[in-house]
Amino acid sequence: MISLYYFGAISLILIGMYAVLVKRNLLKMLVGLSIMETGVNLLLISIGYVSNRTAPILSEGATPQNTVDPIPQALVLTAIVIGVATTALALTVVINLYSKYKTLDVEEIRRLRG
Amino acid sequence: MVKRILAIIMLLIVGFWMANALSGVPFGEDKMLVGKYYLENVKEQTGAVNAVTAVVVNYRGFDTLGEVTVLFIASTGVGALLWRKKKERTAKSEGSVVLRTGSRILLPFIMLFGAYIFIHGHLTPGGGFPGGATIATAFLMLYLAFKDYEIEHKVFEPIEGLAGVGYVTVGLIGLAIGSYFLFDWIWQTWGWGHENIGRLLSAGFIPIIYTLIGIKVGTELTGIVDNMVREEVKGND
Amino acid sequence: MSQYASLLIALPLISAFFVPIIKRISRDAIMPYLSLITLIQTGVAAWAFKEVYTTGKPIIIMAGGFKPPVGINLYIGHFAALFILIVALASFIMAVFSRKAISIEPKDKYAMLFLLLMLGATGMIATGDIFNLFVFMEITSISAYALTGYNKTGEASEASMKYIILGGIGSSFFLIGVALLYGSLGTLNLAQIAQLAGNMNATVAQAALALIIFGLAVEAEIFPLNAWAPDAYQGAPHPITAMFSAFVVKAALYAMARILYITSSASSWSNVLRLLIVLGTLTVIVGEMSALRQKNVKRMLAYSSIAQVGLIAVGFALGTQAGVNASVFHMFNHAIVKALLFLAAGYVAVELGGTELEKFEGLGRKMPLTAFSITVGAVSIIGIPLFNVFWSKLRLILAALSANYAWIAALVLGASVVEAVYYIRLIHLMWFKGEGEKMEENFVLGGIMVLLVAAIIIIGVYPGPVWNIVQKAGSDLFNVANYVKNVPLLGVSP
Repeated sequence: MISLYYFGAISLILIGMYAVLVKRNLLKMLVGLSIMETGVNLLLISIGYVSNRTAPILSEGATPQNTVDPIPQALVLTAIVIGVATTALALTVVINLYSKYKTLDVEEIRRLRG
Repeated sequence: MVKRILAIIMLLIVGFWMANALSGVPFGEDKMLVGKYYLENVKEQTGAVNAVTAVVVNYRGFDTLGEVTVLFIASTGVGALLWRKKKERTAKSEGSVVLRTGSRILLPFIMLFGAYIFIHGHLTPGGGFPGGATIATAFLMLYLAFKDYEIEHKVFEPIEGLAGVGYVTVGLIGLAIGSYFLFDWIWQTWGWGHENIGRLLSAGFIPIIYTLIGIKVGTELTGIVDNMVREEVKGND
Repeated sequence: MSQYASLLIALPLISAFFVPIIKRISRDAIMPYLSLITLIQTGVAAWAFKEVYTTGKPIIIMAGGFKPPVGINLYIGHFAALFILIVALASFIMAVFSRKAISIEPKDKYAMLFLLLMLGATGMIATGDIFNLFVFMEITSISAYALTGYNKTGEASEASMKYIILGGIGSSFFLIGVALLYGSLGTLNLAQIAQLAGNMNATVAQAALALIIFGLAVEAEIFPLNAWAPDAYQGAPHPITAMFSAFVVKAALYAMARILYITSSASSWSNVLRLLIVLGTLTVIVGEMSALRQKNVKRMLAYSSIAQVGLIAVGFALGTQAGVNASVFHMFNHAIVKALLFLAAGYVAVELGGTELEKFEGLGRKMPLTAFSITVGAVSIIGIPLFNVFWSKLRLILAALSANYAWIAALVLGASVVEAVYYIRLIHLMWFKGEGEKMEENFVLGGIMVLLVAAIIIIGVYPGPVWNIVQKAGSDLFNVANYVKNVPLLGVSP
């Protein structure tokens, strides 16, 4: 029905969301968030692909007629960096939470906070 | 258990809905509108052969400015949230002999490779961000190998700030010379490098911006690693 | 000459990058530097406002000198000029408040994050390109994540974690929506999307819009993705809470409205409107019901904020010009009132050590000016005539009735009744209970509170001039044909 690449991207997104919604360990939730963002990046790149064409670098024989779309690749460059920034900040908050509550379990933290 | 089943059902519904929507966007067909314009005009308007780089720095340079800002916010945020009165490294042992010797030998090569990536951004895939990340990897290796290694904070933070100031200044000079913010004044007003398309000294201000971005990203990621590794010194106060 | 309005973006950016260098020179110069930069930003915003409203033409900034859609353009029309001025003013007030309210180190990083939060909101309002909107939304969000956890208490860290996870999911959904939109149209420029929206496949359009709205709903505090908001408002430093409520949520609501109206020629548009009405109504109901049970004043104000935001979303989702105008008016009024309320509540916390209901007992005797400001703010949010929110709630009710949504008018009235209950409870506590001696109130902060109270009353008595400006801003949002005409699109053919 849909292409294999779209299917793969959607599966990654769903797996990531499952981890965020169901897991109790903070680090596992963050890994799930990371997987979800990877799935979205994969989806963006697959949208820009044109069959039987090559990378958009116009030297050595590549002409504008046989290269793929350069825009989704530029978008994904930005999205990856933003994902890194979010992950770095999230890990910092996890460090702070652990030093205050001595546990990484979300339910425990909610219970301890009262 | 109930929570898991509910989550799985909801996720499957969302997945089917998204797949349904995606069947309306056929895979592998040529649906470029603005992309085609970029590919046809990139060599004359920007001088780069790497169309993705031209899009990132020149056509959509505003987005890249935003992205650099996002990394800056992350680095500042990490510094703000992990700030303690006094911090020090708490590693318990040095790395093994292989790690120590290998890192000393590989350090200049890794930094050279990172610099190569961002200087040649307009000719080969890569650019400022992967180049900067590679340079940060070199410092990370030093942190892993040596128990007491710390970067020089008083040097790294101002370099980061100055690289950012440099990027915005390049944009403001474009405003002054060409009357548009982030105007490529080297390629379009001064006309340097027009005969060099496909070689190193071309593509207007793309190498300059990518060098600034590479330095900024390298120092930022190193700063983040440093902040996370050092722990609070519980003093007598 | 008008391209100099790009200073609105370049100035906070270069000042934020400059702070580490200022820190090397002198630590104490950082907070005055913050107030100076926000003052200059207010000046540039006021100049842009005058330009747009006297000539009637929007300022289009073309970054890089390339015409849209080849380059990214900023569209500073009537709406953007008005709200960028509000963002700058609110930031200036909060920068002045920060000198007194922030005592936790490291203050230089606080100043950098503050400037970048202001920049993110300004960029979200000014942009004309959907991916640029995403980048500025992330700038705002990530600054907000860091600032929420700034006090480094356990509570603030937990609030920050909730915000990060919900925000991460939201931005991923937004990107999936953008991917669908780009895949079916081939462009990212808002004006070109408006031109081509009629060609979109109905299923794809519906899915893309729903995903984008869900993505923006996290920042815009719409149910069910606003679970982070009460904790974050409670745990963040006081000036930052005021900024969240005054303009961060408004920028996200504007983005939602803009994208919604840009794609109004797509075939499944009315379904999306219905979705937004349902979400907005649930936001109002859950917000008001939760506010009744709160014992902490900052949390109570947070839930009240969420309810007002729900009303604004419902106004946008009516799909008529009157609805849009009413919502914009409500955004304007709500920004002023909530800035005042959070400023006053934060000041009480700084002087008396907390924001629990007990600390507000007898405030009328201890800090009469502050108590008076809170009273005026509370009375105006309920919707009493002679104060500004009365006019915007009236407009909302009229718009709902003329769009045949009588139950929404009932919702607005019902929400006001519930608000009356908990706000009058607070007022009663402040003036008629408890004992205390008069304390010294800061002159500068008192002056700012008096100015905001004056603004509330003046707009309440003479809404005419502000309503004129708001109508122009509303038609900027609703009248998409005008929007497309004003942007100098290069004819890019496939």
